[in-house]
Amino acid sequence: MEIEITINGRKRRFDVEPNKLLLNLVRDELYLTGTKYGCGIGECGACTVHLDGEAVLACMVLAVDADGRSVTTIEGVADGDKLDPVQEAYIEEGAIQCGFCTPGFIMSTKALLKENSDPSEGEIREYLKGNYCRCTGYVNIIKAVQSAAKKMQG
Amino acid sequence: MTINKVNTHIVPIEFEYHAPGSLDEAVALLEKYGEDAKILAGGTDLIPHMKQRKTEPKHIVNIKKIPELACIEETPDGIKIGALAKLRAVELSPQIREKVPMLSEAAGSIGSVQIRNLGTIGGNICNASPSADMATALMALEATVHVYGKDGAKEYPIAEFFQGRSDVSLERGELLTGFTVPYPPEGAGSAFEKVGWTTFDIATVNVAAVLTLKGGKIDHCSIALGACSPAPIKVALAEEILKGKEPTDEVLEEAMEFVAACVEPRKRWRRAPPEYRRRSSQALAMDAVGRAVEQARRHQ
Amino acid sequence: MSFPNMLYGRVLKSPHAHARIKAMDVSGAEAMGAVTLTPEEVPDVTYCPRLVSIPSATYKDWKVLTDKPHYVGEAIGAVAAESEEEAQKALEAIEVDYEVLGASFDALESMKPGAEPIHDEIYLEDDLLKVENNVGCQLEITEGDPKALEDADVVIERTYRTNRRYHNQLETKSVMVRPEADGGISVWSTTQTIHNTRLLLHDIYGIPMGKIRVYKVALGGSFGSSIHVNPVVNVAVGLALKSRRPVKLSYTREEDIRDHCAYQMIFKLKLGAYKNGKLAGGRLEAYLDIGAHQIQAYPLLGCVVGWWVSLYKLPYKDYVGKAVYTNKVPSCAFRGYGNPQISWVVETMMDELAGKIGVDPLDFRLNNYIGEGDIFWGQGPSVKSIIQSCGVEEILTRGAEMVDWYNRPNPEEQTGRYRRGWGVGRGYHTSSAGAPVPSSIVDFGGAMLKMNEDGTFDYVSALMDHGCGTQDAHIKIVAEELCVTADMVNIIRADTGTTVYDVCTHASRGVYSGGGAALKVAMKVKEKIRDFAGKILDAYPHAVRIRYDEEREQAVVFAEGIEGREVTYREIAETARHKNWGTAAAVESYRQPSCPPHFTGYFVEVEVDTWTGKVKLLRVVAGADIGTVINPMLAAGQVHGGFAQGWSMTVLEDLPYDPDDGDLVNRGSVANYKVPTTMDMLDLDDLTVFFADTYEPTGPFGAKGIGEGALNPVAGTVANAIQNALGVRFFQLPITPIRILEALREKEG
Repeated sequence: MEIEITINGRKRRFDVEPNKLLLNLVRDELYLTGTKYGCGIGECGACTVHLDGEAVLACMVLAVDADGRSVTTIEGVADGDKLDPVQEAYIEEGAIQCGFCTPGFIMSTKALLKENSDPSEGEIREYLKGNYCRCTGYVNIIKAVQSAAKKMQG
Repeated sequence: MTINKVNTHIVPIEFEYHAPGSLDEAVALLEKYGEDAKILAGGTDLIPHMKQRKTEPKHIVNIKKIPELACIEETPDGIKIGALAKLRAVELSPQIREKVPMLSEAAGSIGSVQIRNLGTIGGNICNASPSADMATALMALEATVHVYGKDGAKEYPIAEFFQGRSDVSLERGELLTGFTVPYPPEGAGSAFEKVGWTTFDIATVNVAAVLTLKGGKIDHCSIALGACSPAPIKVALAEEILKGKEPTDEVLEEAMEFVAACVEPRKRWRRAPPEYRRRSSQALAMDAVGRAVEQARRHQ
Repeated sequence: MSFPNMLYGRVLKSPHAHARIKAMDVSGAEAMGAVTLTPEEVPDVTYCPRLVSIPSATYKDWKVLTDKPHYVGEAIGAVAAESEEEAQKALEAIEVDYEVLGASFDALESMKPGAEPIHDEIYLEDDLLKVENNVGCQLEITEGDPKALEDADVVIERTYRTNRRYHNQLETKSVMVRPEADGGISVWSTTQTIHNTRLLLHDIYGIPMGKIRVYKVALGGSFGSSIHVNPVVNVAVGLALKSRRPVKLSYTREEDIRDHCAYQMIFKLKLGAYKNGKLAGGRLEAYLDIGAHQIQAYPLLGCVVGWWVSLYKLPYKDYVGKAVYTNKVPSCAFRGYGNPQISWVVETMMDELAGKIGVDPLDFRLNNYIGEGDIFWGQGPSVKSIIQSCGVEEILTRGAEMVDWYNRPNPEEQTGRYRRGWGVGRGYHTSSAGAPVPSSIVDFGGAMLKMNEDGTFDYVSALMDHGCGTQDAHIKIVAEELCVTADMVNIIRADTGTTVYDVCTHASRGVYSGGGAALKVAMKVKEKIRDFAGKILDAYPHAVRIRYDEEREQAVVFAEGIEGREVTYREIAETARHKNWGTAAAVESYRQPSCPPHFTGYFVEVEVDTWTGKVKLLRVVAGADIGTVINPMLAAGQVHGGFAQGWSMTVLEDLPYDPDDGDLVNRGSVANYKVPTTMDMLDLDDLTVFFADTYEPTGPFGAKGIGEGALNPVAGTVANAIQNALGVRFFQLPITPIRILEALREKEG
């Protein structure tokens, strides 16, 4: 099927089978491998991307269902070589250990801060509970989100 | 055994994809393909189930292009919610938060933000999972279900919608289009409670309660229990006990016995044995009713 | 990762817990154009996937593809095709005829006479061994006078059963293999050891070592699950060699959860103490349910006794450990390597013993812990050393003060729905398996360092970093020694061909042991820099000094007090090139002479909802003695993560089996293998981490490890807190809400 998706700001056309997952489209066709397969069933959040600005799981979206819509992956977050404040905060706060969950967390954090520029710790925890991390116990991740919120408020 | 058939990297089955633009078109497709067709709404259940080979549809009917299905609007009979309304929209809708806050609370308890941005209220109901949180909440709210088929639209109480575990009363060619959730009586308090293994889990038990107080006594009372029987149920006996009484600890405890009695043990209940469900259903019902009473008191 | 012309591999897995393959028909898959691989097409080599022990301590019972699968999920065949979709279809087209055999899912059952033999014969080094009663290997050790235990005033004996946990590392086991024109292969895989991967592939496939290049890749946390070479690697190599094309083989989550898990253990522990608050001795029987194959069961039997006897002084100790085969997923190391399991048992019993003799559990620990100057055999009886730094007392006393320990609740005074309790628990872990004499465990590493012509450095090491900050710490060590900033030391991408041997990133050895190698090469390079500088400055090399000059952004070598006699690293490197002196470079291997324990202690407060059985964390105070803290933020991060894993181990995780079909009850779905979310942990303000002030004389700049000690005491601590809230002790993990309600019903009706 012919589809058109705006990926990280660029319109792209694809010819895909209807059973192709958005996750595999961005990873295998576009080599945007920052979006990770973690579980394939919506448990881990490693494949979080933005679909029309909302955080969703790319392992649960058919590529054909993204036809005509806009997708942002972790690769679309930084401005050239300049990291996004959320990315900076994750590095500065030691929120990255093995790094496998990080892209998903950053995509969720971006969505959170867009909706709520000054979230409480409880709101952060609620918003990120679909992102799983085995390394950090989430401590430095929560700190990074708080720090990113501060940075973005200026 | 399906060990070599399951593959969650991909959707390991092939199907024909349809994206009808109208209800009539959708219904015609469902009529034509019958059991070979599956409706794609949020996809949060359908897609994992296809990966796990729990379902192998030959046709997928994506209903997202039917605009009227995603509505949330106030009507004289209650709030009308389209089947395609996202769980996140139900959670955040100002109308729902104001008029039926418990529904918003229940929606917000499901999955994660990412799941709720995809999953729909209709999908949560149509899977007929005994633990579906929306189902328990809508039961307590005594919602009406709207169905559309080749003979046109029909509606019936949600309690009649569930036919048991994983089964709903949709005929071939019929589509769930939405719900009308009646406004609870003036001054009502309501609450939704659930327990799972973690905060990101399907319910081991869930409970929804809606009630009003009149002169310090419980007047209207509706309690629904989920994940303890093939489909969520109303706990009529507990409601009866509570009606007309002051909600003292003794009265509540008496009523809760009937909640526990509703647990219908299943042969293979992997998440928790019946005894655990009995005890925790009582606890959650106490919490839900207790919170609803508090709220109703504040509204007086 | 991807390569042009790459194929996607899929593994054919046994649906039976124990069976013999009578026939396998791959014609359907081949008709689709797929490349297939059957047990007859791979080398008939029986191997052990973990190469950390010396050969005489290595038990072998694995095949690349087996015609007698021993657990649901074991690889019996494989396919490769142009896409994952096609590979999947081809996989489904393979037909297999099985003779289903009897199976056993419990270690104690498995040892009983008449139980189905799981392996008839296995190898120890190259000798064939007969397996009896499904015991894969065993170890017995006794020290001291048994009279000590007989004379004890109080003796407790109990049976404990741990849970079967899945690492649930976010990156599933994956590999890419590219066959090379010279008959060799290039391999990129999820591994904690590139050199051992090469060794094993050489052993199995007979390819000369120099033609096997295993590359370091960015690796997701593996928590011990890739100390051994993951089975997918060996399968993918077979597919690549047959197809002569690059093959990518990446496990799905449901395959990964049937690939590895932690060791489930059953312990019978007897401990005795005197009324004066001293331990008399103990006896431990340990039954390790290893699953269907040995990965490192034998060294683990040694570690279990080591972990047990190195927490507290036991004048008499008697140990029997048996590794028992069952028809379950093979167990492998998981952060702590048996230490979290045995520490849960010991810390639980220490509390119980303290209660019986009427001393405070904290004082009881302070009375009996093994500390500075004591003999430590953390990595088992063959790896002993003397403890030279110890912060146990500081951790326990400071922590106790912070939480007002001596005023904690009394469980008998609590009756309401919500009940609170405080628990204390201790732990430690060895940093590496170093020792003054050779043992049965290989533990050395190596590194290369060279000065570049602009005065920066290239650092090359085979040590893998899977997210613990290991490489970062190495860079800091090198930079510190050479008086430069960390950004002047580059980490070079490397592989087995460009590095010297390093055993593995495991056993919390990355900083202590690997960092030791880093320090050694840095010292050697510094010597050469001094020599060069001495020539340039006309000064004695041993007399010159080095400082970092912020203005010039260069390290400067100078002769103190003599005006103008100074030269930057850049100038030294340039001069050395122009004058043909050579490069200031060094390659070294290094083995640490000991394996100093890093110590940890936790204080945890919980609240139990006695109606739902839910346990909520209220407060956690964690103290750690890791010697010099090289990177406080990353070290604290290890404590946070270790605590979260320990919490999850205590209250959530388990992998029960369905005896009807021998598969996991959860059918491989992580929707039914829950781990804590952001909301299941405690708020930032309720978690305190502090470090004891110690210095490890054998460690690089006084440092020790932290990775595993951060986890080890958690289960014991949380269990003690639950006991303090409810007055009930649990002898089985996890302590789920279901078990809590059952126990309360028994106690209170």
